[in-house]
Amino acid sequence: MKKKLSYVIITALLMLVLSACSQGSNSESSSGNDSSSGSNDEDITIAVVLKTLSTPYWKVMEAGVLQAAEDLGVKVNIVGPPSEAEIMQQVNQIEDQLSKNPDAILVAPIQPSTVVPLLEATDIPVITLDTDADIENRLSYIGTDNYTAGVEGAKFLIEELGLKQGDKVALIDGAPGNPATNDRIKGAKDTFTEAGIEIAAEQPADSDSTKAMNVMENILQVEKDLKAVFVASDDMALGALRAIEPSGLDIKVVGVNGDQVAAESILNGGMFASVAQKPYDMGYLGVQKAVAAIKGEEIEERIDSGIDIIKKDNAQEQIDFLSDIVD
Amino acid sequence: MSKVQERIIDSVPTEEQKDTSFFKSVKKVLGKFGTLIALLLLCLIFTITSEEFLTFDNFMNIARQVSINALLALGMLLPILTAGIDLSVGAVLAFSSMIMGIVTVSMGMNPVIGILAALAVGAGFGLLNGVLLTKFHLPHPFISTMGTQFIARGLALMVTAAAPIAGFPLLIQYMGNGFVANIVPFSFVLVIVVYIIMHIFLTKTKTGRYIYAIGGNKEAARLSGINVNRVLLIVYTISGLLAGLAGVIQVGRVNAAFPTAGMMYETDAIAAVIIGGASFFGGVGTVVGTAIGAAIIAVLRNGLNLLNVSSDIQMAVIGAVIILAVYVDVLRLRKKRKAGSN
Repeated sequence: MKKKLSYVIITALLMLVLSACSQGSNSESSSGNDSSSGSNDEDITIAVVLKTLSTPYWKVMEAGVLQAAEDLGVKVNIVGPPSEAEIMQQVNQIEDQLSKNPDAILVAPIQPSTVVPLLEATDIPVITLDTDADIENRLSYIGTDNYTAGVEGAKFLIEELGLKQGDKVALIDGAPGNPATNDRIKGAKDTFTEAGIEIAAEQPADSDSTKAMNVMENILQVEKDLKAVFVASDDMALGALRAIEPSGLDIKVVGVNGDQVAAESILNGGMFASVAQKPYDMGYLGVQKAVAAIKGEEIEERIDSGIDIIKKDNAQEQIDFLSDIVD
Repeated sequence: MSKVQERIIDSVPTEEQKDTSFFKSVKKVLGKFGTLIALLLLCLIFTITSEEFLTFDNFMNIARQVSINALLALGMLLPILTAGIDLSVGAVLAFSSMIMGIVTVSMGMNPVIGILAALAVGAGFGLLNGVLLTKFHLPHPFISTMGTQFIARGLALMVTAAAPIAGFPLLIQYMGNGFVANIVPFSFVLVIVVYIIMHIFLTKTKTGRYIYAIGGNKEAARLSGINVNRVLLIVYTISGLLAGLAGVIQVGRVNAAFPTAGMMYETDAIAAVIIGGASFFGGVGTVVGTAIGAAIIAVLRNGLNLLNVSSDIQMAVIGAVIILAVYVDVLRLRKKRKAGSN
């Protein structure tokens, strides 16, 4: 039984070490603000809960948040569950962050309806990033207009490829019920349909790259005469590309997000283009507007963080921009 | 001196032996309460490293956050006591909550009917697990519950084409977020009540004792006249029922049912049971131990959240704690076997 006690102590010490280490890294990222910055915002702490911190898109947003925190001289606590599937973990993280009494909270909700009870119960400024939620008291939503992203992606394809009436395209969506991806596909679908272009296939692939590959393979079994595929995210687009390449068919793939891997693929002649969101700007603006709200200023209720179409001639620029931030 | 006389003389403790038996009982207490001490140590560490940990509000948060896993773990305890397992609890939680959503929100029926529907779905899947094991003689519950896990998950996704259901009536919201006497979370009170009932069931009723007997030695139990199949059916039905109840609480907490709920929840449930001192080999484990195991996991997660520790490190820590707990269990068993062979 002495052994049992010693194991208990070892675990405890391990935990102490781990928590001390991570506390160190957190204060490092947020303490680099005292000396250099112009503004003197004493002791403002903003809680930031993202959908996850484990994928490139969110790491770029994290970088934007950190930069704004440094520039404005405020502290930020950035957390997120290990994957975009851990809905309840995100809820628990929001709850725990709120119990630390931050001055404002930024949330990118995985499942919008789940964060409403918690956030409606708080008085501090609430801002949603990337995905909106039906929260009565939220001050602002900063994100891409996903519908427009879909429209622009479709428009780009129509112009660049000279698509005309009767041409066929396919659409690949994220998970049903995911408003971000659903809106992008809706925008693309409406644009294509208006131009008389036929949607030969429309399937969901749950924002999973391998699923997208399977979905694309199945579509190609039935319909080979496609001019292009519009996919709601870069991860899925790359999966779809893997299914198209061995077939030898010339089908252009356009994704959404503007991830570094997508830009590299575009440069190498794989993907055709990507409608880039601006997660860095979302993160940066989020902190900026939160600070303004804390100081009692009025902020816009809806802020469109904008899109950029990444194609071959500006792919390198995108790659450079992204690799600079996430070093 | 005859062999018998020698034996009798040896069994009377000498003066020196009497002194060390005090330390033996201290060791026994540590052995029994080792997990409780670990929990208290954990709380102590977090109190020191985080200023928000030791507050009443935070403890109420922990109480709410532990409820779902506490119920799943309690359900998981029973199969594990019989040297079995139930991998379907997370998926059953999701499916029951989706059915409750359809009944209450889409069909607009009385929330009580919705809750009963969730419990019925949970119990139904539990019964299915039990039947697969006892009537269809599938070799191990690992296989049968893995199969039902996928079936339940598929059904959960199918019923609304993967769309979430939001906007539940106040009664259900109360179950997840409400307070009793304005102080204690209702879900926590519910968990305590269920735990007490289960404790009485396992320790004071015949079926409870049969469960331990089956876990200790299934064949011996069967040969001594216990209806093993019937007990196993009860065990898995209860596990499913509690998964359904956990689904109700989760919906109440976030006012939404979503088909991807409960992913990997069975892992936290198993972890709580094992950390609490139960053995995979069956026959060993208590309700109190499971409670402490669930508390340890909840406190760990909450404390690490308060310290802004990244989720990746959190996962690694919990994994390490599980391995440690199982290793201690292995050591205890080996010691027992050695002692037995003397």
